[in-house]
Amino acid sequence: MILVCGIPSETPLRLVTSRLEEMGAPFVMLNQREFASCEVWFEVSREAIRGELRIGKSTYRLEDFTAVYPRLMDDRALPELADEPPESSPRKYCRSFHDTLTRWMEIAPALVINRCAPMATNASKPYQAQLIREHGFRVPETLISNDPDLVRGFRARHGRVIYKSISAIRSIVQELSDEDEERLERIRWCPTQFQAFVEGENLRVHTIGGEVFATAVRSQATDYRYATRQSGEAAELREVILAADLAERCLTLSHALGLEFAGIDLKITPDDEVYCFEVNPCPAFSYYEANTSQPISAAVARRLASA
Amino acid sequence: MYLVLCSASDFSGLWVCDGLRQLGIAPLELVLAESLACASLWEHRLQGSRTHLKITLPDGRTVCSSRIRGVINRLLAPAPGAAYRAAESDREYAQAELHAFYLSWLKGLPGRVVNPPTAVGLSGSWYHASEWVSRASRAGLTVRPYRQSSHDAPEDSFRPLAPEGAARLSLITFGGQLFGGSVSAAIGCACARLAREAQAELLGVELYREGAGAWIFAGATPQPDLSIGGTPLLQCLARELTQGERP
Repeated sequence: MILVCGIPSETPLRLVTSRLEEMGAPFVMLNQREFASCEVWFEVSREAIRGELRIGKSTYRLEDFTAVYPRLMDDRALPELADEPPESSPRKYCRSFHDTLTRWMEIAPALVINRCAPMATNASKPYQAQLIREHGFRVPETLISNDPDLVRGFRARHGRVIYKSISAIRSIVQELSDEDEERLERIRWCPTQFQAFVEGENLRVHTIGGEVFATAVRSQATDYRYATRQSGEAAELREVILAADLAERCLTLSHALGLEFAGIDLKITPDDEVYCFEVNPCPAFSYYEANTSQPISAAVARRLASA
Repeated sequence: MYLVLCSASDFSGLWVCDGLRQLGIAPLELVLAESLACASLWEHRLQGSRTHLKITLPDGRTVCSSRIRGVINRLLAPAPGAAYRAAESDREYAQAELHAFYLSWLKGLPGRVVNPPTAVGLSGSWYHASEWVSRASRAGLTVRPYRQSSHDAPEDSFRPLAPEGAARLSLITFGGQLFGGSVSAAIGCACARLAREAQAELLGVELYREGAGAWIFAGATPQPDLSIGGTPLLQCLARELTQGERP
């Protein structure tokens, strides 16, 4: 039995459950928005990790779940809690329910795509970059500083420089401009990351269950996820086949980071050097699947069903 | 240069700094989390395969990665001062960015680092009680069942696992050695295995027992009170720091 958690209408989740249905793989959908009608408990003992999950009127033994696909949004931001004050009972129960469920997933003997601990490397991009570098990928030259003069010197040396957040909180990648330089004094109290711009073609590589799906992205935007906003034109995506050694390195990197499923952001320079920007541990693969028809959701479903 | 990184309220960190100085580890700098929060200069670079760090502290001292030979790392989190300078709406973001930054520069420290950061902790792996119990059981320690339900408040998991009144024993495992108490070889091996599998080379392990029964796992932390290891632990730390020096 497979447990799928999140909001059923969210596109990646919807694609995976559709594939599971097509395969005839038995699964249980836990809609986190319906937390109020759910309960969960688990027990860790010398013998086993066991417990129960109740969803509405149905109760399941946790030890019967062989695989879990969690795509949980921040439970504090669920629409059901929008009008709830900070310490309200529904808000507290929602937090406790998600905390218990997540704690169980961290130690469950089931296949979990992905657990929180390995996902945590992505909460510090430069920390993760150092791990990526240890696996043979180039990473962009990076400066993190609170000193405007060092940043100006970095830009003078590299010409084109981008800046972006380094935590798991998403930001839009921007190129440092003359106007930005004028407000650099604002980094004094929070060291900020600047990276040399790398010319080349963007590649998103999804790895799942030993399979590799590579998508080339052509865009004039600094951050192709926001291509229309930044450049006025949507990004063009196409399927590509990676050289065997690069595909193997991507699989090795995902495995080393403890990730069953990963979205690896690469850039191939005109000199064929491979830069890796980050490894996304909770990839929203549907954007790539919708634009290329690459069967990523089917691969996720196959991996879940194989456990 | 050797560093002890800790907060001003971390008496164990201050104790180990003082003890290492008395053992002749020099030059040894105590760098407090509160001081780092007010650093006038941060310069952290990833260049090719190299990592560089330079910090200018408020008292004028400079910490440069090219001079660091060994580090005792007991940082838990960036001191909150810096994030509080952000607008309230940006405070959570600022704190997340600072944590991400600390994780990176700590990861890039050269020389012998005790305890290096992991993705789940600035100074080693910080696991939830349920995960420690699971890991301790796998490592061969005796455990009592841990239970959690959606009707328990998440903060309940921070309650001690040992019942009130039970006899307790605090141990530290470091470099395959056990400090702080005398237990059977089997328990010592299990503690070392727990530390190894948790990627926490220096790990505090708490045990308890009722009456004359077996020692039972009560918790683990990468941030134990080092003073329970006394002089033998200090000597071991001093040896590790100096043997970890780059040629």
